[in-house]
Amino acid sequence: MKRIFLLSLTVLTLAAGLLYWTLPEKRSGAPVLYWATQNDANKRETVALFKSWLAQQGLPPVDLRIDNAGLEASSPGGSPKVLVQGAAGIGGDLIDVYTYQLEMYQEAGMLADLTEDGRRGGFSSDMIYPALRGDLVLDGRQYGFPRQSGVDMCWYNRDTFERYHLPEPSPHWTWDEFEELGRRFVAATNPPGTRQRSYFIDRVWPPVLRRGVGLSTYNETGTRCTLDDPRAIEVLKRIYRWTIDERLMPTQQEQKALASELSGQDSAFSLFATGRFAMLYEGLWASMELRHMGKLRLGLVEPFTGGFRNALAGNGTVAIYAGTKHREQAEQFLRFLTSKPYNLFVARIGDSLPPVPAYTRSEAYFHPRGQENEWEARKNFAAATEEIGIGGTTSPFVLPILAFRIDNDTIEAMLTGLISPEEAARTTARRINEEIALRVRQNPSLQPLFAERQKIQRQIDERRAAGRPVPAAWISDPFLLAYYRAQGWLEKEAAP
Amino acid sequence: MKHRERTIRRWFTGMGFLLPSLLGFCAFTLVPLALSFAMAFTDWDIMRHNQFRHEPLHFTGLENFIRLFGDPQFWRDLGNTLFLMLGLPFAMAGSLAAALLLTRVSHRRSALRPALVIATLVLVASGLVLLWGGMAELGVWCLFGTLTASVLLAGVLTGGTLYRTLFYLPSFTSGVATYVLWKKLYNPHSGPINFGLTPLLDRLAAAVRTSPGVFTYGLPVLCAGLAVGLVAWDVRRLRSRWSGSEAGLAAVVVGAVTLAVPLGLLLHWQGFSLLVTGSVVAVGAGVCIVTTVRRPRPWGRVRSAGEGAGIEIALALLLLPVLLMLAAGIQVGPALPALAANGLEPPDWLGSYGWAKPALMMMALWAAIGSNNMILYLAGLGSISPELYEAADMDGASPSQRFWHITWPQLAPVTFFIAVMGIINGMQGGFEVARSMTAGGPAGATTTLSYYIFSEGFETGRLGYASAIAWVLFALVFIFSLLNFRFGNRDAND
Repeated sequence: MKRIFLLSLTVLTLAAGLLYWTLPEKRSGAPVLYWATQNDANKRETVALFKSWLAQQGLPPVDLRIDNAGLEASSPGGSPKVLVQGAAGIGGDLIDVYTYQLEMYQEAGMLADLTEDGRRGGFSSDMIYPALRGDLVLDGRQYGFPRQSGVDMCWYNRDTFERYHLPEPSPHWTWDEFEELGRRFVAATNPPGTRQRSYFIDRVWPPVLRRGVGLSTYNETGTRCTLDDPRAIEVLKRIYRWTIDERLMPTQQEQKALASELSGQDSAFSLFATGRFAMLYEGLWASMELRHMGKLRLGLVEPFTGGFRNALAGNGTVAIYAGTKHREQAEQFLRFLTSKPYNLFVARIGDSLPPVPAYTRSEAYFHPRGQENEWEARKNFAAATEEIGIGGTTSPFVLPILAFRIDNDTIEAMLTGLISPEEAARTTARRINEEIALRVRQNPSLQPLFAERQKIQRQIDERRAAGRPVPAAWISDPFLLAYYRAQGWLEKEAAP
Repeated sequence: MKHRERTIRRWFTGMGFLLPSLLGFCAFTLVPLALSFAMAFTDWDIMRHNQFRHEPLHFTGLENFIRLFGDPQFWRDLGNTLFLMLGLPFAMAGSLAAALLLTRVSHRRSALRPALVIATLVLVASGLVLLWGGMAELGVWCLFGTLTASVLLAGVLTGGTLYRTLFYLPSFTSGVATYVLWKKLYNPHSGPINFGLTPLLDRLAAAVRTSPGVFTYGLPVLCAGLAVGLVAWDVRRLRSRWSGSEAGLAAVVVGAVTLAVPLGLLLHWQGFSLLVTGSVVAVGAGVCIVTTVRRPRPWGRVRSAGEGAGIEIALALLLLPVLLMLAAGIQVGPALPALAANGLEPPDWLGSYGWAKPALMMMALWAAIGSNNMILYLAGLGSISPELYEAADMDGASPSQRFWHITWPQLAPVTFFIAVMGIINGMQGGFEVARSMTAGGPAGATTTLSYYIFSEGFETGRLGYASAIAWVLFALVFIFSLLNFRFGNRDAND
């Protein structure tokens, strides 16, 4: 028995040694960097492009590897894997960060502050779209650089509208126009007895709808959730009517059911191509998926609003892990994201807009060969990002994932008939405000900031009540800042 | 001296063998367990207490627990967890039925085997031809029927080995793979369940439209009749157990409340106030209890008031859903004609708040019937002495009497073990299935406590709060197990 035990021990020790020597760090001649991102063709091509860019620049090679295990990159709360690994000190050297995730990772202290290095190394936040700086800058400190930028818009398939003799939506349209056209579409495509139902649009973004009537998730200083406002109730009523009464769009569970019908490819794109979705509410990146569906005659319009034109803008940001052992190489990657080869690559493939705006104004972006059906859409995306794109709203006093989860839960509860729109609005605001109170109470470092912001908020409220303008510096919410500016409610700003 | 040296050497050898396991246990179980207990009393937040941020950890006493009890999400998720556990008695009954069936499968070989195999092949081929020829519906039914028939036939021919394998299949199939399969089965648009239900519902809707009276009055009367019959049977059984000194007062109370609750719910659905429904439940249960306990006991008093309560709780868990379904039938009957006016739609299984939990329960039932429980019952059945059955046969016992007086009591220890393990797993479970199939939705309908622990701990990073939930869950499991040992174990040992 002892011999068996010793033999097992020896074999296990040898196997562990073998495993150790097969680790990429041991076998690679270059520093190994892990990039926590999705493992798709574009990312693989980006890695290849980075390696050749390093060679062109005469820099030593870097072995950049993609780590996509357990990633749920587009989730508003980020991936639990990234958070847990990062907080434990074993995060990837480069981390993909999307809208609403930056606050969480930064608060955990796992993102490297790149403000000075960015300025020195040529990847400062000044180089990107001004409306999207909030996606990588917090309290004036930069925590990453975008690998792509853009807004979400409404794609439509001209053939689908023609087939049902419906007019195409106008470029700037309202909720009522959306509802009217949607009603006509679902009536035409879903005669009684229809089993494979068609929908007018795949989804809507509640924050964009609220912004359309001048409402943000929080007040100007982020100290209170304002979703119990009558305008939020009106938005919820519309969502209920569009989803349940008129059935213009699927519920979240119906979306999942549709996805399980068409495994192997993203169901929304197939349904759009076959006419079961008249419209898709997505970014420019959707064009890459739609290319697989043939040469569709594509159209694009702005998101429908209740009056104030806006579109949710965001970056796909790459941040550097604070615990990386290869900071220099990781910064080289961010510098690569500002380079011409990379930006033209993004422009060509249409995975959103290039991170450096100058490259958007290029032939590679506007007129890619072989993709003539996308030219008009690309022009509209570029214009919308500049004109109506506004970054996501967050409050430093509540985790974005919590606010998102509460908002999502109550909307779902309303759609299943458990609560009324009025109750949903009240519940959302109450629960988010409870989270704010709890977070401020549990986090002493936030208390001075909260007190200061509350003081500013009182001043804002007084000025607004008296009809006086407000200094722009007082408003931390990107949407409300844009809204106040558009309404002429800001104090005269000094010319730049 | 030599003996002492040998003893010490043997001790070290033994410890050498044990050490890897002990170290693993300490590192991955004991230490995390102790840490999580300590964390439950702190404000540990992954955002502020980690590799990069070292804010001081604060002892918050019972704050996490106090917040927990005022957290509506905790109560909702606890309710979901308990609701999903209602399938446990049915799963156990199913496992027992499967085990009983499998012990009875004949081992005879048939001369008809080649003919049966050829017939099966011909039927499968004809199904495929129908599918190929565009007759999808008929082809699918033909294939489905053929497969069912061939399973039955092959089972008879292989002497039950095939059945055992088929029944046990869900247990050795990866969980996520089966969830994906069930997701497809439950698809409201293209899933085979709704594919099969749609024509049935169409016919039902047509029948309701043709003769609405039958459904408006007939269905409620039928359901009411069945409910009354079931209640009468249970009252009779309860009284007989009381008179036979097999049930104490606690058992009678459990049995009586089980019978009264569906009546209260029915009244509640019909719009009666909570006061009225509560009074009806109290009076109904009270009458049942009083009339039962006033009966004489020729065999003397029971050992304690809790005598036989385990059986009553188990039976209550079986009876309650059936009575609730009958109550729902009484309620739905009059509304059916209006519902059927535009045709009856099959359920949106995973998308509807009302159906999502039952859908997951049905899936769990499918997996549980042929699980390890069935294997345990098979082993239990194999260990029952044949002399007991022979004696019963000589006494002229019917099959039902053989089951209730020999099989069921002999299997009591197995049933007890399965119940304890089922409750523990049920309380801790539901995470994988909810994460894979519904993401806890719709509107939190399928979010269980384990899912809530995950999202609090790893999505929002509040590890202290997540630990508090985990320890409350542990306390609940502990209490349930204690109750099981208190009431169920006695029945098992009896």
